[in-house]
Amino acid sequence: MRNASVLQIAPPVAVAVILVAAWSLATATIFAGRGYLVPSPSDVAAAFAGNAGTILDATLTTLREAFVGYVAAIVVGVAIASLLSYSRTLERGLYPYAVLLQTVPVVAVAPLIVLWFGYGDGSVMIISFIMSLFPIINNTLLGLRSTSHNLIDLFKLHHAGRLVTLVTLQLPSALPQTLAGLRISAGLSVIGAIVGEFIIGSGNTRGGLGVQIIFAQGRMFTALLFAEVIAATLLGFCFFLAVSASGDRLLRNWHESAVSE
Amino acid sequence: MDSSTGTDVSIAGISKEYSTGVRALEGIDLSVGGGEFVTLVGPSGCGKSTLLRIVAGLVEATAGRVSSSRPGNAAFVFQEPALLPWRTVQANAELLLELDHVAPAERRERASESLRLVGLAGFEDSYPHRLSGGMRMRLSLARSIALRPNLLLLDEPLAAVDELTREGLQDELLALWSAVGFTAMLVTHNVTEAVYLSNRVIVMSPRPGRIVADIEIPFTFPRAAELRSTAAFAHLTGVVSAALRGAHA
Repeated sequence: MRNASVLQIAPPVAVAVILVAAWSLATATIFAGRGYLVPSPSDVAAAFAGNAGTILDATLTTLREAFVGYVAAIVVGVAIASLLSYSRTLERGLYPYAVLLQTVPVVAVAPLIVLWFGYGDGSVMIISFIMSLFPIINNTLLGLRSTSHNLIDLFKLHHAGRLVTLVTLQLPSALPQTLAGLRISAGLSVIGAIVGEFIIGSGNTRGGLGVQIIFAQGRMFTALLFAEVIAATLLGFCFFLAVSASGDRLLRNWHESAVSE
Repeated sequence: MDSSTGTDVSIAGISKEYSTGVRALEGIDLSVGGGEFVTLVGPSGCGKSTLLRIVAGLVEATAGRVSSSRPGNAAFVFQEPALLPWRTVQANAELLLELDHVAPAERRERASESLRLVGLAGFEDSYPHRLSGGMRMRLSLARSIALRPNLLLLDEPLAAVDELTREGLQDELLALWSAVGFTAMLVTHNVTEAVYLSNRVIVMSPRPGRIVADIEIPFTFPRAAELRSTAAFAHLTGVVSAALRGAHA
């Protein structure tokens, strides 16, 4: 058991050590004296340490914005999917536009959102929300549609109303797919929040990671910029892990993919 | 169990034509007595499952009518157990009672009683994925039995389990039938199963399905596994098979 976990952890750790060593070597040779382009690992670590408070504040701000957008996307996404599954006609009418909306680049729309909702974290949350919404709708709808026909018939046979069928049967049946959507959206919500912060960020010294990244870039604080990019990556990753873990917990009693582990 | 108490289900002139023009059933007349165990056998696609669904009210017939002496108290068992994997065994057994708005205390009691009847007492808090295929099917039966149905419609419920489990489940099904006293209508394409379980076997022709034979199975209940190896049993499976072949020709 111990050996197995060592074998699991050793390879990625080895890769990380090699990468940092290569990075260190490159900054000492190719990029020597050009730390404003590629700072050395120790410069980045120093930037981290020297700005720990700012980076932590910014990370928490981004997390808060992403979280609000994400939770709103879950509520609205599941509601829209339920509505679309309610009637074939409704789905036929609306789904093409849902797909079309999905292909609109959020980055391109973000300035419009800021124009409508102002230079505040409200706009950031809305952009994060839009970014997270579609995987949740798509996956939930897929799950709702693939509910066992026999079970649908059984509920019909016992005169269950559509709402009872939705709540007692279809939404729980769709849970594995909904959770797959939630996993995808967890990362997207952080990306959405940072994109939003880019748009509202210029000139703003306080604010989330996106704001700080633009700020660091403008002043050529490249080591700080690296530190913030790493913080943003870790934030997205941890968010994803937290969502995955809660999902596995929810499914642990019944779903094959969660059970077999 | 020969307590046929009048007609329970009466099927008169049932025909079914799909919108695609496919004729599934034509002129089905069948009357099933209270407490009977009637099995429909026929080649794949002969409409026997469709007939069962028409009796249940899941499919609408193009012509004819189905009447029941005690309507609204039928339960349907599918080929797959069709359980809710996120519910415990107990909660699965209570599902249909819940949909029928039975009060929680009575729900618990009736579900527990059904689980006892199918031999799943002690598994109340397990989840379906922990059960074997045979146990899942027994849970599916318990869920229906909890309704105390007067009519149980079974759509090839034993088709997906292995041979040994199947024979065990056949005996349990018969035990349930005599303990609970429902009228049973079973669909199968397994002739041995049909003869072993039923007091009447209805043989259907290929599409469009018609009734080509109505064969009385005179063995008394309870029946035991040895019955399957008697000459009389072999003779009756021969008769059913011949009727099936005749229908094909």
